Amino acid sequence: MTQDDIFQKVKATLVDALNRDDDEVTASSRLQADLGAESIDFLDIVFRLEREFGIKIPRGELFPESIFQGDPSLVAGGKITEKGLAELRDKMPFADPAELDKFAADPKLDNMGDLFTVNLIVRYLKAKLGA
Amino acid sequence: MQLKDQVALVTGGSRGIGKAIVQKLAAQGAKVAFVYRGAKDAALALQAEITAAGGVAKAIQADVADPAAAEVVVGGVLADWGRVDILVNNAGVIRDGLFIRMEADAWNTVIQTNLNGTFWFCKAVANQMALKQRYGRIINVSSVAAEHVNQGQTNYAASKGAVNSFTKALAVELGSRNVTVNAVAPGFIATDMSEAVRSKAGDFIEKKLVPLRRLGQPDDIANVVAFLAGPGAAYITGQVITVDGGLSLGAVTG
Repeated sequence: MTQDDIFQKVKATLVDALNRDDDEVTASSRLQADLGAESIDFLDIVFRLEREFGIKIPRGELFPESIFQGDPSLVAGGKITEKGLAELRDKMPFADPAELDKFAADPKLDNMGDLFTVNLIVRYLKAKLGA
Repeated sequence: MQLKDQVALVTGGSRGIGKAIVQKLAAQGAKVAFVYRGAKDAALALQAEITAAGGVAKAIQADVADPAAAEVVVGGVLADWGRVDILVNNAGVIRDGLFIRMEADAWNTVIQTNLNGTFWFCKAVANQMALKQRYGRIINVSSVAAEHVNQGQTNYAASKGAVNSFTKALAVELGSRNVTVNAVAPGFIATDMSEAVRSKAGDFIEKKLVPLRRLGQPDDIANVVAFLAGPGAAYITGQVITVDGGLSLGAVTG
């Protein structure tokens, strides 16, 4: 499966899951800020991707959104610490390094959702499928 | 036949209020799977009665307090009928007794059946309803005794109060997926479960405490459950609907 094949399937999945128009979903779309995804939508997206691609996506593997909960060594003053950033890079080896660097420049926890883009899903699936 | 081709699952379905709910949903066209714990003869008779009337029903033996039961029951319904549109958590027990003398077992049994059983069955259908179907109606049978408490029912009141809060919180989470979650809170209904209270105080309750001057019948509850399961209730979620003939108004009549 080529990267574009994966993208097209991811796009179709998101159009369905988030009830969006086809042209609203681009590679750089952020799921929350641009496509309006809520917390349950992330579960829905994972569920649909599993079905669409015939894979299992362990909880927290694609969207490790709760790895920082309640650990002061990872988050301080609303920002992710150096240790936390290292943890994040470790948890998301499939993420675009440039995107992670951009986030690391101003690592506000509130902005973490910006990492969750269409492109991130495509990269994850590509790694997962060994495509 | 407003529930035609829908699939319903009712716990505690062989007797009392549950039986009336099973009959009502089946009469409205739903295929109804219902869970019974011990009353096998009653369950099979009900299944036969509905089948004879041209409906579809299936009795399944399980104890809702068993954490493993819900997955098995729901898995079976999905294997047979492919979906679950309506879940009615009706199975409930009482183990009344003054708190000072209440054994842990009386507490645990009531919580495990009334509250945890509801949790397990909701858990077992949530993914199917919210993500696969994007449609579902969950109706939890609570009790007016959650708010208007009775002596000797610390366990029962706690379990039903928790079911009410759970109903509201779950409604918030599943709302965006077109799954409604409501509770029905019956007052004094003429069933085996209320027999002990009725034999002692039935007359007083009927004549003095219930403005409508009669005990409720299982059908009074089943009608409301069927309404909540049907198209007319599409915009109702997170509500506890009291069905008690006015008992909870707290007025003494006569």
